Amino acid sequence: MRKFGIVCLSVVLLLGVACAGFAAYPEKNLQGLIMWGAGGGTDNFARAVTPLVEKHLGQTVILQNRTGASGAVATTLVVNSPADGYTLLYGAENPANYRVLGLSPLSFHDLQPITIAVEGAVVICVNPETPFTTMQELVEGAKAEKKIRMATSGVGGLPYVAGAMMKNIHGTDFNYIQFDGDGPGATAVMGGHADVMPLALSTSVEYIRAGRLRGLAVLTTKRVPQLPDVPAITEIYPEYEQYLPWGPFYGVFVKKGTPADIVASLSDAFVKAMEEPRFEEYVKNSGGFKNGSTGEDAVNFLVKFESTASWLIYNAGGAKHSPAEFGIPEPQK
Amino acid sequence: MEQNLQYFLIPFLNWDMMLLIWVGVFAGIWVGAIPGLSVTMAASLLISFTFSWDLNNALALICGVFVGGVYGGSITAILLNIPGAPAAIATGIEGYPLAQLGEAGKAIGLCTTVSVFASFVGILVLAVAAPVVANFSLKFSPRDFFLLAVMGVLLIGSIGGGDPIKGITAGAIGVLLSMVGMDPSTGELRYTFGNIYLMAGISFVTAMIGLFGVSEALTQFRNAGKGSPKQNLDKIIPSWATFIKYLPLSIRSSLLGVFIGALPGTGGDVAALLAYDQAKRSVRHPSRPFGTGAYEGIVAPETANKGAIGGAFIPMLTLGIPGDAVTAIIIGALYIHGLKPGPMLMIETPHLFWMIVSCLSIASIALMVLGLVSVKPFSKIIEIPKSIIMPVVIILSVIGTYAIQNSVVDIFYMIGFGIIGYFMRLYGYATGPMVLGLILGPMLDANYRRAMQGAENQLLPFLEGFFTSPISLVLTLSIVFLLFSQTKTYRRWRGIS
Repeated sequence: MRKFGIVCLSVVLLLGVACAGFAAYPEKNLQGLIMWGAGGGTDNFARAVTPLVEKHLGQTVILQNRTGASGAVATTLVVNSPADGYTLLYGAENPANYRVLGLSPLSFHDLQPITIAVEGAVVICVNPETPFTTMQELVEGAKAEKKIRMATSGVGGLPYVAGAMMKNIHGTDFNYIQFDGDGPGATAVMGGHADVMPLALSTSVEYIRAGRLRGLAVLTTKRVPQLPDVPAITEIYPEYEQYLPWGPFYGVFVKKGTPADIVASLSDAFVKAMEEPRFEEYVKNSGGFKNGSTGEDAVNFLVKFESTASWLIYNAGGAKHSPAEFGIPEPQK
Repeated sequence: MEQNLQYFLIPFLNWDMMLLIWVGVFAGIWVGAIPGLSVTMAASLLISFTFSWDLNNALALICGVFVGGVYGGSITAILLNIPGAPAAIATGIEGYPLAQLGEAGKAIGLCTTVSVFASFVGILVLAVAAPVVANFSLKFSPRDFFLLAVMGVLLIGSIGGGDPIKGITAGAIGVLLSMVGMDPSTGELRYTFGNIYLMAGISFVTAMIGLFGVSEALTQFRNAGKGSPKQNLDKIIPSWATFIKYLPLSIRSSLLGVFIGALPGTGGDVAALLAYDQAKRSVRHPSRPFGTGAYEGIVAPETANKGAIGGAFIPMLTLGIPGDAVTAIIIGALYIHGLKPGPMLMIETPHLFWMIVSCLSIASIALMVLGLVSVKPFSKIIEIPKSIIMPVVIILSVIGTYAIQNSVVDIFYMIGFGIIGYFMRLYGYATGPMVLGLILGPMLDANYRRAMQGAENQLLPFLEGFFTSPISLVLTLSIVFLLFSQTKTYRRWRGIS
């Protein structure tokens, strides 16, 4: 009798284990960590895409903002969680620069991209009361006097890297003033407390349309549909092409080492979600461009971005460590 | 004009929206009252929750929660000396002694009435003068924000209750703690000892929950056995004469609140602090001395933080710049719902502007009704034995802290702050200044450096700015006056003892 009981129990247990092994992913709720605060670009992206993804996954993704240290806190948490595909990181470009800035030993190499969802472009914006009406005038002005104030979002941020590009190409130097992000920086330029700021298209497009900011050039190789009158930088200075495409992006990541079938089903759910008209509309309104790459393409995208951004920061004097220390190759000209 | 009126009437004619605003206010009062559950948090949860809704309905709910939440934070400040949000710290200084005197009902009744009044002042300014105020708020330079922060720091001592030196000490420690984490401009790590969690800095909400919630509970355990004060709940709605008596102060403080709220990056917390201090200086004969239950000390901060609600919407709706954390989230919601927040929003979608004005108005009416109805049940909370209510406070503090960002480390911080707060209280140090120090520290630090960078790190041009820019000049003179008003000469001249 006792033996029979044990056998029964073992069978039940075995069945249980087997079921757990065969159960289709995902079998429980997922956690989604957003590396930037509520109301920011990364947060908006996460909250716009997640409800659509949930439909395809058949599970809820519980979103939390885990801010701090330029997103390094959320990145660390995801890397420290099990590689089972139940913890997602909604992030921006920042992990590419953690190592050279000395913020964290982590980078995109510790993560597996599910998708690089949305890309943005950067627009060089000035206060409309400044005398600069074209990119050339700004460059000449910056060479003539070093008093032009450029708002940035801190060392290593996108505006800083764009400033570094200008420095590399034209030898211009600005008086940098650091603000808490794109939004507060744009506010300061509109109020005349800074003269120029390279701003994400999503932040600046409405201000440019309303005449509160003047867009001089978009850091892309082609004009963007949102701003047909603002020239692409390569129309004026072809030398920028070596750094492009470069710009902000939002993506979803899991810990590296997550089983390939789980990564594939997550990627699949996101790709389907991003095809919905509601998401397309969000992308259009937020001034971005759908990228939607997954797998190997997404990994290559990250490798190229890391190389461009970290060498630019290093050459502009903003890095604590040389990218060479981490084996990051110099961008090919 | 007629069309604007039509837009304004949308929520009045739509039962769904009407109901959602009332539900929002009711929920907001509770969310605001529980330390750690903040309006910001509720709003960001609602964005996901209302994703598939009609935008109008989503906005109605969020507006309701916003108005109710700012009010709810003051209720626990009065009843239990545990402010639900930093904007209610000043309210607790006067409100809690009143509750101890058995006048909690009267205090909450007055708080509700003036809150609704101030909320309407904010809405009125939003409706009539939004573009003008928004353009003016853009003129505030980093130097001016620095001056505002200096002013705030100078006032910290005045909410210390009793010894200003002790208040300033607590405030200075708060400022120091706010420096932990990443340097705002260079990303350099400060006081982090290589710890990733310290890199994220110390959140003032965590500190606030510990310093008020847990330390209050610990203090009450020490005083265990003392009975709770019997509450007099006869006259909870203030008389017309009382309302008129406080009207000038209400108008002054709510306008101050609207304006501080309209400045990007400053909100109800700074407004309440400035208004409280302003009342303390200007009211000659308060109902009781300040710090022991002066009704003026409730009216001023309460009107300021409610005025700041309308104020926060001013730059958001006219320029697409958030006035505070909650409006920042609403901007995100507009993007997700397919709109383009920015300077063109008011021109391209005027209905949105008038509908928000209208939602806020309905929310204020709902606040009046729901606030006054719940005075009696709320006041009963005090009469619950401390041995039951204080463990509940501790549990809520832990849950609330964890809810901020699902971080266990925050709970340890919170308990640490609770123990520190207990000893501070034991030795007569108010805990409010430490929280305000944590809030003002980053504002002081970052804006000083921006102002300095703007002057190319030259001392002389930096100092020159204080006198050449009109806004800076006014703020500089106000600070000089603040300091001068502390001198014996001034006090003798004004006849204040």
